[in-house]
Amino acid sequence: MPDPIHQFDIHRIVPLNIGGWDVSFTNASLYMLLAVVLTIGFFTVATRARALVPSRLQSVAEISYEFVADMLRSSIGKEGMKYFPFVFSLFIFIFATNMLGMIPGAFTVASHIIVTATLAGLVFLSVLVIGFAKNGLHFLKLFVPSGVPVFVLPLVTLIEVISFLSRPVSHSVRLFANMLAGHITLKVFGGFVVMLLGSGSFAALAPIPLAATIALTALEFLVSFLQAYVFTMLTCMYLNDALHPGH
Amino acid sequence: MSDPPEKKGREPGEMTPEERARFEGRIADLGDKLGKVKAQRDADAHADLDAEMRGRGMAYGMRMAAELVAAVIVGGIIGWGLDWVLGTKPWLFLLFFLLGFAAGILNVVRAYERMQREFAQRTGGNIGHRVPDDDD
Repeated sequence: MPDPIHQFDIHRIVPLNIGGWDVSFTNASLYMLLAVVLTIGFFTVATRARALVPSRLQSVAEISYEFVADMLRSSIGKEGMKYFPFVFSLFIFIFATNMLGMIPGAFTVASHIIVTATLAGLVFLSVLVIGFAKNGLHFLKLFVPSGVPVFVLPLVTLIEVISFLSRPVSHSVRLFANMLAGHITLKVFGGFVVMLLGSGSFAALAPIPLAATIALTALEFLVSFLQAYVFTMLTCMYLNDALHPGH
Repeated sequence: MSDPPEKKGREPGEMTPEERARFEGRIADLGDKLGKVKAQRDADAHADLDAEMRGRGMAYGMRMAAELVAAVIVGGIIGWGLDWVLGTKPWLFLLFFLLGFAAGILNVVRAYERMQREFAQRTGGNIGHRVPDDDD
């Protein structure tokens, strides 16, 4: 049976070593670079015409702009648009790498927790910096819910702090686990087809896992998009907490 | 410049009764066809919405699980770290594990509230359909 984990192997393409740190250019770096280059290329071509009546490409670019802008406006409000470049880059990067990962044989960057944890950590740090920069010590009101009796306040505050610290964990694990599980399932079902085909008369059963693989591929496309959406949505919500602490 | 004989005595462009009947028949046919296409399209849209809701439901389910587990893990790690620093093994670990569980429940409740709000916005507050019960 083909190893379903093999697709997540990282191998060095250009070995690099700077000051004792292994900073080799790997297949993960390649796919991240590819996603960035394709995104920049796409938006450059799509927005080149700047037509009043958009072409197909331009309307795709406009729809993706509106999609993220709506998310920001609905969860933060108008001042949320200040963070549009950050949120839009996050969304497009995750979306592009997930979609690249759907190409058979391609590498799925978000299936490595170090990647999603870095993104979630970036969001977490931004929330802290923005929160303290905008509200000063009032930001700490986020941990002190109003209307709680004084004698349980320390306990509630402690729970709120843990809840706050758990955000980057759930934020990163969700994206990582979805992409990892989805791609393993795809590979396992694909492996069933191959195994059945190579087992004599049981080959007649091969279309069943094949049909499942096709259905799962469609589902996986949906998940790829939804997870990029959920990640971005949560980023908006966390940014909202940074701007308006105190529920 | 001689008019065709059947047009005599009428305004130009006016229809004979037979023509009018045929025309109305065609309009009725067209109306039927349009109605069928519309019904099909509504059914398709409904199926799409259903699939989308299912996908969203799965995403929400995963999210709830992640929210709960993440808080328990973070609580456990904090407690373990404090134990390690203060040498109070295993008491702070146990305490923070429980606090982490409480934080996890809090996360899930908050995520659920947000989900309800989002859902209400999308569907205009009509969640599910009304079923008559004994009180009716």
